[in-house]
Amino acid sequence: MLSDQDRESLRAYSRCDMTAIDLRRRLGGVTYGDVLRLLSEEALPLPHAPTAGREEQIARAHAWMFPKRVA
Amino acid sequence: MSRDLKLFVVDTGPLISLAVAESLDYLLLVDADVVIPDAVLHEATRDAARLGAQDIIDWVKAHRTRIEIAATKAYEQFDLARLAAPQLHEPDLGERAAVEVIEEPDRLGGNERGLLLCEETAVLRRVVVRDRTRIVEISTLDFLRILESEQRIQSAEQVFVLAASAGRLISRVEKLRAQDDETRDAIRGLVRRRSGGDA
Repeated sequence: MLSDQDRESLRAYSRCDMTAIDLRRRLGGVTYGDVLRLLSEEALPLPHAPTAGREEQIARAHAWMFPKRVA
Repeated sequence: MSRDLKLFVVDTGPLISLAVAESLDYLLLVDADVVIPDAVLHEATRDAARLGAQDIIDWVKAHRTRIEIAATKAYEQFDLARLAAPQLHEPDLGERAAVEVIEEPDRLGGNERGLLLCEETAVLRRVVVRDRTRIVEISTLDFLRILESEQRIQSAEQVFVLAASAGRLISRVEKLRAQDDETRDAIRGLVRRRSGGDA
């Protein structure tokens, strides 16, 4: 049974305002699988990490993954 | 395992999300060797009732030539401690093992480069990345979006939608209950000791 505080933590994680590790600790050491299940039960989406500020490293990763297709 | 690009899966999120979405093979769509620290595999599978656990074990077994389960002292010590305390649980075990693997001085040689794949970047705060020209960290969604832009997969978002709906997959959860001992033994069989080859 989730407390209101647990639900708020889940919402914060879904908004990318809390890391998965912090969330798992706040929920009593649950696994990431539990996090997925709880998100589903609360109808919350998985967090989408913002790409702003990381464009260069994502582009570099892209070039390494597919070197022939990226200039 | 001799590819120049190494894909380090440094926390359980990518494995579980992809397993739940039946998309673990997406990790093999890149010409890279996949490296998973033993403790990360343990955390992802420690309770086989957890989502995706058996799928992850089966997937690793099926692709042993592409996937290295990297042995760590953190997991070795934890496994020994469990002999005296079978219910022992260390919440940050996977994180510590990932840091250990990434910081191995000879982990990347020659022209090799590393991609660190994690659900979010918290684990990387504890990592000393000595050579940022050779190591880049990305999230699962970054990885999937790159695959999508290369038309290797249809939709990155769809994987996340499937993962986020995991709680409704009751039949899969029930099917996997009570197999903890089997997964523990499986991990032991999959760990590769760097100095001595396959365990």
